[in-house]
Amino acid sequence: MSLRTRTLRAGTYLGLTGLAGVTLFPLLWVTSIALMRAPEAAAGTPPLWPHHPTLVNVINIISRQHLGRYFFNSIVVATATMALSVLVAGSAGYALARVEFRGRRVVSWLVMLGVLIPNQALVLPLFEMFRTVHLVNHYAALVLPAAANPVGIVLVQAYMRGIPVEILDAARIDGASEWRIYRSIVVPLMAPMLAAVGVLVFVVSWNDFMWPMIAMQQEGMQTLPVALAAIDREHYQDIGLMAAGATMTMLPMVVVFLASQRYYLRSVIAGSLTD
Amino acid sequence: MAALEIEHVEKILRGGQAVLRDVSCSARDGELLVVVGPSGCGKSTLLRLVAGLESVTRGVIRIGERTVNELPPQQRDVAMVFQNHALYPHMTVYENLAFGLRVRGTPRARLDQRVRLVAAQLGIEAMLKRFPRELSGGQRQRTALGRAMLRNPSVFLLDEPLSSLDAPLRAELRRELAALHRSLGATMVYVTHDQSEALSLGQRMVVLAGGRVQQIDTPAHVFQRPANRFVAGFVGWPPMNFLTADSFDDVARVPAGQGALEYGVRPECFSARPGGGDDLQLTGRIERIESQGSEWDLELTHRLGRVLARLRPERTLEVGEQIRLWVARGHLHAFDLTSGARVELKP
Ligand SMILES: Nc1ncnc2c1ncn2[C@@H]1O[C@H](COP(=O)(O)OP(=O)(O)OP(=O)(O)O)[C@@H](O)[C@H]1O
Ligand SMILES: [Mg+2]
Repeated sequence: MSLRTRTLRAGTYLGLTGLAGVTLFPLLWVTSIALMRAPEAAAGTPPLWPHHPTLVNVINIISRQHLGRYFFNSIVVATATMALSVLVAGSAGYALARVEFRGRRVVSWLVMLGVLIPNQALVLPLFEMFRTVHLVNHYAALVLPAAANPVGIVLVQAYMRGIPVEILDAARIDGASEWRIYRSIVVPLMAPMLAAVGVLVFVVSWNDFMWPMIAMQQEGMQTLPVALAAIDREHYQDIGLMAAGATMTMLPMVVVFLASQRYYLRSVIAGSLTD
Repeated sequence: MAALEIEHVEKILRGGQAVLRDVSCSARDGELLVVVGPSGCGKSTLLRLVAGLESVTRGVIRIGERTVNELPPQQRDVAMVFQNHALYPHMTVYENLAFGLRVRGTPRARLDQRVRLVAAQLGIEAMLKRFPRELSGGQRQRTALGRAMLRNPSVFLLDEPLSSLDAPLRAELRRELAALHRSLGATMVYVTHDQSEALSLGQRMVVLAGGRVQQIDTPAHVFQRPANRFVAGFVGWPPMNFLTADSFDDVARVPAGQGALEYGVRPECFSARPGGGDDLQLTGRIERIESQGSEWDLELTHRLGRVLARLRPERTLEVGEQIRLWVARGHLHAFDLTSGARVELKP
């Protein structure tokens, strides 16, 4: 290795370490505050490290604020959204990329357009829709709109276009039916991208705030971020409690990311694997 | 096994581009038919039409007794080796080979036996557990071939199966393929853009250019009596020289025909010594000499242009030297100057 590449590499690592630090610092600090007792946490600037670590905030927020209930809601909604949107994106993205049917271009354009529309613009019409079909305050109100996720469809479509048609043609000549091809060839080939879409959708659904706040007004049906905001409003002076709530909200994301990073990274570099 | 018949097939793309125009050819039962032509002439398209991956605009395709125009690829009973192999990247070599049989519900024991047999035939038994990305080009090629063989189809379609390999391996696999064809007795359509491959492999060859059939004949006949100027220039290496009557020293002795003609002489048909009495003479200055081992390629400028001659001279030749070459009349090809069609010269 020449001095030049070595310096470059050292610089890259230094830069990345700095970035990681900037990203991780607030997360770690919040977690640390969650483990502090009230006076310590309430200081103008809380210390970096709890002197007497305690789980009292965590216990409080779970037992007194029914956080478990909201946690459960969030898990159900995010998981269902993820599953459904992977199903939809997987089949729609494949169809738009590789199946010939009338109106394919129009549908492609509409989906692209869907990517451009901000979620906030959809809130009002969505609310009207779900009220007419009496699904407000049901999980379905959160799951169904998110499942038709145009970003996921566009991602899968683009990924599928990168896979040589001849592979599918070979399967056709081998005698496989279209369903068999989808099951045995297309889905395994798309798997990394489906995993990426799944993680993306899970995270977005988990963190979503505006639509869940509007669609889930009944007590006990709120998702974690909405419930947490309510707790914050009520207990804004209890910094430790708020930090515990924030930590609890973050935690599943960290788990999801760590568990899926193998697939996630694979989809990022997948371009170089298919020749 | 079955014969393949392609009758007046036309393929026009949605944009209006005609890829194939009135193509007719057939492969007899058990024949190895080679389709050769320059890049982009529609060879792959022709195979895709036969396989049913695309539909014909006009014309009829028959496999055996069946007209297959309306049948999907699954029901045509053909196997195809793609130009880019198209192995299933997420399956091992074993699974790649087995997929076609699995789809057809072949019992496990029989499937396993067949896969191992074909793998052994192709010398890839040791690769069965590997993924395509872990194979060399030749091994991928064999796997793609094996996948087609396992199916035991009516017709094999091979789309430049050897194009991605280096020359020695290509020659080796070409021999194996020819042997394989003999042992399977299968009907095969073999597509290549390499005219030397076509000459060495086929029982008959179809020369395709610009989406039209130029000639269908045995390699020997195509080489000896090319149907038009294009075929004459495309088949044979180094390519044929094209000359006018004025290029020769004695214009009066050049056989004439009706209308204006262009004459073709293969580089290896020149000789540095006069042969029979009615040989034609051509004088030129040596511009370049290139050794081909036992023979020499000479590039000459004559009165009207350049020619390439491949000779086995008896003395050393120098660049800049004037040299006289002879061509037997029988080695002269003639083509109509406007249509390019072959014109038979009277002996
Ligand atoms: N899907 C397509 N869209 C547009 N043009 C196409 C398509 N498929 C083929 N063509 C055109 O049809 C012509 C023939 O293509 P084809 O792939 O059959 O050529 P080929 O003889 O196999 O060439 P090569 O030796 O390079 O493989 C080309 O001019 C190509 O541009
Ligand atoms: Mg081709």
